[in-house]
Amino acid sequence: MLWSNFPPGTRGAARAAAVAALLLVLLASAPSNEEKQLSIYGPRVSYSLPVSQHEGQEYVALLEALEPFGNVAARADGAKWKLRFRNLDAEFRRDASVGKVAGRKVGLPGPFVLENNRGLVPLRALPAILGLMLATRTEYHEAGRRLFLGGVATHFTADSRENGLNLNFTAPVNPLVSTEPGKLRMTFTRDAVVASPNVLRLENPLVSSITFSESNGQAELVVMGRVPLLAQFAADRRAIEIVAAPGEAQNVPPPVLPGVSPAPEPVPAAVAVPPPPTLQSLTARPGFVVMLDAGHGGDDRGALLSETLEEKGVTLAFARRLRSELQAHGISVVMSRDADVTVAVEQRAAMADAARVAIYLTLHAASQGRGVRVYTAMINSASGKPGGFVPWDTAQARYVLSSRALADLIRAELGKHEIPGSELSAPLKPLNNVAAAALAIEVAPSADDVSSVSAGGYQQRIAAAIAEAVVVARPRVEAER
Amino acid sequence: MTRALTIGTGLLLAAVLVMGAYLYSLRRHEQARAQTLPDTRPISAPVTGPPSRVTLYVANDDPGAVRPEKVSIALPTDPAERGREILRALVGEYVKRPSAHELPASADIKDVFLVGGDTAVVDTTEAFAAGHPSGVLVETLTVASLVKTLTANLPGVTRVKILVDGKERETLAGHADLECFYDVVTVEQLLEQLR
Repeated sequence: MLWSNFPPGTRGAARAAAVAALLLVLLASAPSNEEKQLSIYGPRVSYSLPVSQHEGQEYVALLEALEPFGNVAARADGAKWKLRFRNLDAEFRRDASVGKVAGRKVGLPGPFVLENNRGLVPLRALPAILGLMLATRTEYHEAGRRLFLGGVATHFTADSRENGLNLNFTAPVNPLVSTEPGKLRMTFTRDAVVASPNVLRLENPLVSSITFSESNGQAELVVMGRVPLLAQFAADRRAIEIVAAPGEAQNVPPPVLPGVSPAPEPVPAAVAVPPPPTLQSLTARPGFVVMLDAGHGGDDRGALLSETLEEKGVTLAFARRLRSELQAHGISVVMSRDADVTVAVEQRAAMADAARVAIYLTLHAASQGRGVRVYTAMINSASGKPGGFVPWDTAQARYVLSSRALADLIRAELGKHEIPGSELSAPLKPLNNVAAAALAIEVAPSADDVSSVSAGGYQQRIAAAIAEAVVVARPRVEAER
Repeated sequence: MTRALTIGTGLLLAAVLVMGAYLYSLRRHEQARAQTLPDTRPISAPVTGPPSRVTLYVANDDPGAVRPEKVSIALPTDPAERGREILRALVGEYVKRPSAHELPASADIKDVFLVGGDTAVVDTTEAFAAGHPSGVLVETLTVASLVKTLTANLPGVTRVKILVDGKERETLAGHADLECFYDVVTVEQLLEQLR
């Protein structure tokens, strides 16, 4: 419609209405800064899944929800979508609000969505479906998007002391710790930490209150400080000691007597807390970014591992698992691809170099051999300080010693997880073009059955080992950058 | 008149689309057939010469190793032709069934060229790469065994370039770099790791 079609007196109002409508559309279509996610906590594995929105409801991919528990396969047959997990079957039909899971009818609060052969179920139906497929008790915290399986839960107690606060957990925890003015924030993504959402006020010289909350697949403990605070972890990670940051201990105010005077106003906490080694490995820093490059994709299917298993799918699933593991350790991750799309090999290296990543891991899968093979570039090391322009073909030369040190750590961690690992150099593209510690990880089957290469539990163990190695390697990698 | 024109144009467009789809399917079919058929073209005339003892560096996928094997083959006197025959003997080990490092039956070496005294260019057949198993380890083993076998038997050669059907190719089967020159020192380091 043209503006001239409106009567002269109403043109201004029509314009304003159109602009408002456009703004509304733009606001509605703008991507959210924070991706919605669901966290699932089981006795052996904890993981997060992306949550998508369909017709005002939250949905999650059922196959991905079951993958960490063992071999699962799904196929679309016209409007039907069938899934097989262990010896149990589930069947859904596009747009139907009822499905069949392990021989029982399950009502869905919204229609079943079939999208690019992926079966999506409403998030609120997932606890019931997983409960039937895994034959276990489920507890869903809807407000926080956290699903607990088999009664798993980590509780904690707060022990207020004169020189700080002790938080004792019933299981080892691995939170991401960050500081803000007046606050020390601990975010638990992979730990099944539970408590009633509330504020606990303390009469403590250092800490004024602790707040527990759950949101977007995470639990959060916020410690409000009267002085800048520091978190120290016990070796078994079952206890966290909150103490005054170095240099602040002498400024600790005397204990506040109940009913005598109001608590002093919180003062800004130290923004740059000098962390001890244990904390250093847990705290994300801007600049330390790991790039995960899921090999192949799109037109390039990679190796055909079996009649139905393509390398590109295995590498993407593994990259997603590894991303969750690294993020749970407070490490920022970028992916070369997060879907089945074609990305040129050289473009992958260019992305890593442009993002100035600290570590680049290209992920591959093979049907030959057993366990995991870790590859470094087949290039001679070169001296010289990193930085400035470097030749494209030999960009890795300055970093290859750092890459080999990381490969050693990964192999050692794989050994701790009882996964056979070997270390080689290989002429694999694009390792030579990456100006950062760069490795290729080739996942081979765990057993005679080639399909074991895509088993959720196996991939999860490998991802955990690699993430732990990256955490250990981080100080050295950062020092060498 | 307008209606007849519209129908006629529509029919012509439909015919063009159908023909296009048919031609495309014919092309795909022909390409698939060409890839599955063994390459039976004669590559080079058989060579004659006195039998010589040479060392082949033969790859083994499980557990991932390259091991020396001494064989006796007839070799010509020209160094480039000797290189070609030695590599053909190596590839012959891989096209046998069973083989510890299987390559397609029609995989072969077309030629070896010597450039400047220290560089060898190995030209493989299209089937060598098209039917090569895909994987970081298997492709690395192939490259290492070719380079080591050639440099061990042709004194002075320290760099090797691998072509596929006379052309440069990005990777062997999705992983191993074929755009670079392989340096004997870095290949030796790899073989040391494999021991």
